[in-house]
Order: sequence, then structure tokens, then C-alpha cells
Amino acid sequence: MLFSSLVFLYIFLPITLFIYFIGPKKYKNIILLIASLIFYSWGEPIYILLMIFSSIVDYSHGMLIEKYRDNDRKAKLIVLSSIIINLSLLGFFKYADFLILNINNIFNSNLNTFNLPLPIGISFYTFQTMSYTIDVYRKEAPVQRNFFSLATYVTLFPQLIAGPIVRYQTIAEEINFRKETIDKFADGLRRFIIGLGKKVLLANNIGLLWSTIKHAQLNELSVLTAWLGIIAFAFQIYFDFSGYSDMAIGLGKIFGFTFLENFNYPYISQSITEFWRRWHISLGTWFKDYVYIPIGGNRVSKFKMYRNIFVVWLLTGLWHGASWNFVLWGLYFGTILVIEKTFLLKFLNRLPRAIRHIYALILIIFGWVLFEFDNLTNVISYLKVMLGFNNNKFIDTEFIYYLYTNIILIIILIIASTPIISYTNNKTFYKLKNKEILYRNVLIPLLYLIILFISTAYLVDSTFNPFLYFRF
Amino acid sequence: MKSKQSGNKILIFGFILFITLINIFNIVIPDKEFSESENRLLEQMPKLSFKNLSNGRFTKRFEKYISDQFVNRDGWVGLKSDIERLRLQKENKGIFFGKDEFLLENYEKPNDVLNNNITTLNKFKDKLSNIDMFFLLAPNSVNIYNDKLPLFANPYNQVKVIEHVENNLNENINFVSVYETLKKHKDEYIYFRTDHHWTMRGAYYAYLQYAKKAKIKPYTLDDFNDDIISDSFYGTYYSKASNYRLKPDELELFTPKFNVNYEVCFSDKDDCIDTLYNFDHLEKKDKYALFLDGNKPLVTISTDVNNNDKLLILKDSYAHSLIPFLANNYREIHILDLRYFNLSVHDYIKDNDINKILFLYNVSTFSKDTNLTKLK
Repeated sequence: MLFSSLVFLYIFLPITLFIYFIGPKKYKNIILLIASLIFYSWGEPIYILLMIFSSIVDYSHGMLIEKYRDNDRKAKLIVLSSIIINLSLLGFFKYADFLILNINNIFNSNLNTFNLPLPIGISFYTFQTMSYTIDVYRKEAPVQRNFFSLATYVTLFPQLIAGPIVRYQTIAEEINFRKETIDKFADGLRRFIIGLGKKVLLANNIGLLWSTIKHAQLNELSVLTAWLGIIAFAFQIYFDFSGYSDMAIGLGKIFGFTFLENFNYPYISQSITEFWRRWHISLGTWFKDYVYIPIGGNRVSKFKMYRNIFVVWLLTGLWHGASWNFVLWGLYFGTILVIEKTFLLKFLNRLPRAIRHIYALILIIFGWVLFEFDNLTNVISYLKVMLGFNNNKFIDTEFIYYLYTNIILIIILIIASTPIISYTNNKTFYKLKNKEILYRNVLIPLLYLIILFISTAYLVDSTFNPFLYFRF
Repeated sequence: MKSKQSGNKILIFGFILFITLINIFNIVIPDKEFSESENRLLEQMPKLSFKNLSNGRFTKRFEKYISDQFVNRDGWVGLKSDIERLRLQKENKGIFFGKDEFLLENYEKPNDVLNNNITTLNKFKDKLSNIDMFFLLAPNSVNIYNDKLPLFANPYNQVKVIEHVENNLNENINFVSVYETLKKHKDEYIYFRTDHHWTMRGAYYAYLQYAKKAKIKPYTLDDFNDDIISDSFYGTYYSKASNYRLKPDELELFTPKFNVNYEVCFSDKDDCIDTLYNFDHLEKKDKYALFLDGNKPLVTISTDVNNNDKLLILKDSYAHSLIPFLANNYREIHILDLRYFNLSVHDYIKDNDINKILFLYNVSTFSKDTNLTKLK
């Protein structure tokens, strides 16, 4: 099930909210657990067993670690066991075919791939359950003795499918002791609606533009159209992913959970270093705390530090997908980060802000080309068009048409990529005073309901499927 | 913090009210069976069974059911279309919002299917060297009315496609060129604004071109009664673009003033009728289907016209408004729709002594239709 669907918005969510808020406190976790299991199995009934299995593994491992507190060697082995089991699960379902294809390429063999569909959310929940056992071992979170409470954490539907990666320590307290309030509900609801609008109204529509440009023949693309296309993709992936995170954080808040932020206006960054502190923050944090620092972080020799950085970025790239272009994408950023760390940042800080910003954006955009095309040849071809190497026209009527028919959307996207709106929102509160009541009590709620209303229109339209050809 | 609380309460109250109202409407309003605007059956409540749950079929169907039966579905779709136009978007779901309330379907550069179709036709002609074959390729309104396109819109030029087909078609297939004449008459009502078809008047001008090539004597417009039989036709483009603020099309019908008798038989019915039209369709949305009662696998028309020609027409629905003119020039017309006809076309030709074959397609369909491979 997706958040951005009529079934979720109008059936699953209202019913879940109703039962949750009516139910007695001691049953609230069970209600969430059952709702989450339904949510997950809605699309894939079979893979729910995997998730339950992962919960059982980590529950038992957590209890064992607590039992063997005095025997550090044993405790470490238990953590290792949890990591191996979870990574095996992830490795098998997500990377086995990738491995097989590479073996076939290298050894000219003809092994069959498994062709298993990827269990939804497996990249997220395996990382979350691993974080539980590691945090328990490190005494950064108390062991959870109630299996259902742990299972609620693992399966929690707000962040199950597309993050953010919520580490157990973040909500360890709230799993058993949280308070739902009207303010939290309203905050969460506003956050959710913003996320819904980002996904349905912004991401999906700019995605259409990218889809059109992507399918054009490369030799007919003008340079400007190629740039417009990948910029459209950059907007699409940001608003899609951050919109989903917003919906997750918002839903969590409604139920009394406080998840950490996952995006912080990444496109205002003035360096790649800054970008990765603003983009998919939960993943960066996870790799820092569970991989980078354990293998030495920056407290080792310079050579080892660079090695650590590359290991983390190789894994970061690989996490995004079982394909070499993702690995390259990770290494691409790893390299830039090393360069920035060694000397480039110092040099950049002497340049004006605008230049730093353009520098960052151009590198980010090239990164998206690497990310989006899974075939390296296509990456290079597309980059060639962008850089004008292929005798493509610089500008054509297509570009002008795409630009002006999407200009209002693009302006909204640019504004929404910066903190301007929340800045003006906060400022306005202090200026209005008398009109503040009208603003807070009428305009703002109305605005959010309008976003919900229009998003519904776009969702209904996306299922509009005229059977024109055959009947006419 | 008091005023913050009341704003929050109002938001939550508004949200709950909105969701509840939608659900009340959805539950109370009975499910619809058929969508006129989408021209398809709507999903009904799926059966709940363990089997359907475990194989995922129930959940898929249930989601489709919820969206298909969502209250005022067409209203939401129209709202989205309005907002798209508000944000200066000039197309919706592949249809341009043109000037003078014209809807024009975007046409993209054709892929291999086009060349495959040309090859299939050439091979077909090779096998039937003694039968006269004609190929009439009609452009679509997006091409004839390219002056009404939104600024800078750039659909692929269909003239290039028409020339490509003409140059690569077996020279023994008589290519009927209609582009020039349609362009010449574009200020007349020859294409619908809200539908992908040409009007009967547009079909007439194409009929004249065919008559020249086929060396038959065409009737003139004066030989026909000219009536507007509907002024509220909203066609396929209207459905797709979902812009509900446009004026409807008119349906102009030409019926012979002279005496002629038709016997029209459909392969899926036992009785034959004596008219080329089914006016029941005027009560429904898809009024164009009044021509020959829409898409059928096989239709045969027998007339009392004085010649011995048996014409086979392989076509898409553009032919339906042209055939009423042709029916006055042939004793027998057999109309096969390759999308639905699954028997051997060669056998049919032999069994029915067909001696003339006309292929009638519009550029958009001919570029995408994969059913011509059935001609083998």
C-alpha cells in the first residue's frame, strides 16, 4: 500500500486512526502492529513472514545480549549473528541476482537468476533491526523485553516502506511511553499533507516532464532540453523522497512518535559535504555510526581515513540499488568528499556564495545522471549532450515548450526547495497580531485542506483509464 | 498558546469532517457499472476469499474498486484538468489544448511498428498480385490543424510519415493521397474538435480522392441530404483531456437523395438491417459509433448498385464515416476489423471472390496497430 493512494487516505488511515484513538493505552501498540501488518501484507502477503522473522531474530538476539552482559565475547558474537542474518536476508533478496550476473560476466557462466521480487522496505527494516541489536549491545538503548513492542517498532507502517531509517534508540522511550496530543496530531497532519502534496502535485508532475525528455532520441535532444530534463529528475527525486519522509514523520507524530528529520533543504547546499548532511540524513547517520566510526572514522592515519570514506560511500551507493551505476554514484560522491575535505572546501570558502552554490548544484546534477541511467553508456551519452559534445542543437522549440508549460511548477519547485516558506510563515506570525487569529484558525487549516483536496483530484485522475482504442 | 490550540483543533476537525463526508458519499451512493466518459466497465466490489487475499488479487481489485467508484470521479478529473491549464500546461494526458476549442492529440515519431506494417502490406500484395489494392492514409487533426496548436508545441510531422509510407509501399498498391485536399478544405467542418475522427464531410473529400484513383464515379454532396443530427457530441479527446468547459461537436450526416437499397449484415448477429446507421448511439456518449454500429469483426453490405465489384475493406474506425459514400458505388462491400477478426483473411478473400481491396487507416492508428500481422 502507498500513502499516496485513495485506499490509504480514505479507508486505511481513517479506520486505523479511529481504532487507535478509541483503543485503551495498553492496546495501542498492538493496534499499530496489526495495522502495520495489514499495511505491509496489502501488497505482498508472503514477504510479511520475512519481516516477522527479522523481528523474532532481533528480539531473541536482544534478549541474549542482555543475558550475556558479563561475557563480552559472547555478546559480540550475538551482535555478529544478528548482523549476518539480517545482511544475508538483504543480500539474498536484493543482491543475489546482481552477484550472479557479475559472476556470469566474469566467468562466462550461465547461472540462472532467481528473479525474486524485492520485498518492500527490506533495505529499511533490516537496517533498523540491526540498529536495535547494536544499540542494545552498546547500551545506547535498553533491551525491549516485550516482543510485541519490538515488533511494533520493526513493522511501524509510517516508516516501513521508504524510511526514514529510524534507529531504535530514537523511539525506545516512545514505544512504551508516549503521549498523543492535539498539537502533535495537528503538527503531524500538517506534515503529512505537505508530504502528500510534494509527492502527488510536485514530484509526479515534474516527473512527467522528465519521462517525456528521457524517452526522446538522444541525437534529437537540444542541450538545454537535456539540462532541463535532468533538473526535472533532480526535483522529482527530491520531492518524491522527501515528500514520503514528510508523510512518514507526520504519521509518526500523529501516533505520538518523534522521528528525526531526513531532509534539510539539500538543494541550498554550497558543497557536497553540506549536501550529504542535508540529504537522506538517516542513512548518512546510520553509516556513520555503524560503519564509519567502528572502522576508525577519522581517528586514524590519513590513508586509512580515506579508505574508510570510500568504504562508506561504496556501501552507500550499493544500498541504493543492486547495479554498478549506483556503486559508481557512491564512489563519485566519496571522491568529491575526500577532495573537499583535503583542500577544496578551504578554497571554496574564499569564493562568493553564489559560486559555491552553483558548484554544488552542478556536481549534484551530474550525480543524478549517473544515478538515473543504469547503463554506463547511456550515462556518457547523456552527459555528452549536456556538454554540447554531440553536435546537438543548443536550443529548440521543444525546450521552449517544455519550459513555459512547466514554468509555474518549476517556480514552485524552486521556492519549495528553499526554507523561504517556513521562514516567511514564522515571520508572519509576529507581524499579524490581530489578524493572527484569522490566519491561524482559518487560512492555514483551509490551505492544508485545499492541498488535500487537490491531491485527491490528482490521485483520482491517475486512475482515470479511458478504454478508447478498442471501443472506438 | 491558546490560539494555536484552536487552529489545530479546527484543522483536525476539518480533516475529519472532509474524510467522513467523502466516505459517507462513497458508501451511500450506489456503485456505477459503466463509465460513459471512460467508455469502460467500472470495477465492482471484489469477492473476499482466502485465496484471493493470499495471491494479492483481492487487494489489487479492491484498490481499483475504490478508485473506480470514488464519488464524483469525473468531477475530480475535470478539476485536475482545470488546474493543469491554470498552471499554463498546454496538454493533459497526451492531448493538446488548442486554439478555438480544438483538442489535438500529440503525435510522436513512429517506431518500428510503422515499418513492420508497411512490410506486411507489401508481402500481402505480393501474394495477391491479381487483385487491385488501394491504401488510403488519413492524417489526424493534429496535423491538418497545426496552426491551432499551442505555442511551440511540436508534434511529429505526419506529412513525413505519409510520404515515407507512400515511398516504401509496393508500387502496385495504389496510394490514395488525401492530405492536400483535406488541407485545402480545413476551414470546413472536416474534423471533430473533441474526437479523434474526421467528420463525414472530411471523409467525403477523401472519398473523392479514392474515386479518382479507383476510377469510379463519385457522387457529389448535392446528391445527399445534409442534416445536423446531434449538437452535443463529446468525443474521445474530450474524455482524455478531461476539459469539461468546451463546446460540443456537431454531427453532420449525409443521406442519399437518390434511391438505393442496402442490406447490412453483422457477423455477430443473425438479422440483417437495411440501414448503415444505428441511431441508438445518439443517446449515448460515443455518438460516432452510429456509423455502422461501431467496431465489429465483420460487416457485409450488399446493395442494388449495378456492378460486379466485391470490395474488401481492412480498416480502422476512420472508414466508418467514409463507407456510407462507398456503399453507393459497389454491389458488395466486406468490412474486416483486424483487431477482432481472427480467421484467415486469405481464405475469406478466396471464399468471397473479392476483387478489390482497400486499406483505410489514420496515421496515428497505422503507426501503432500491431494487428496487421494477422494478414499472414
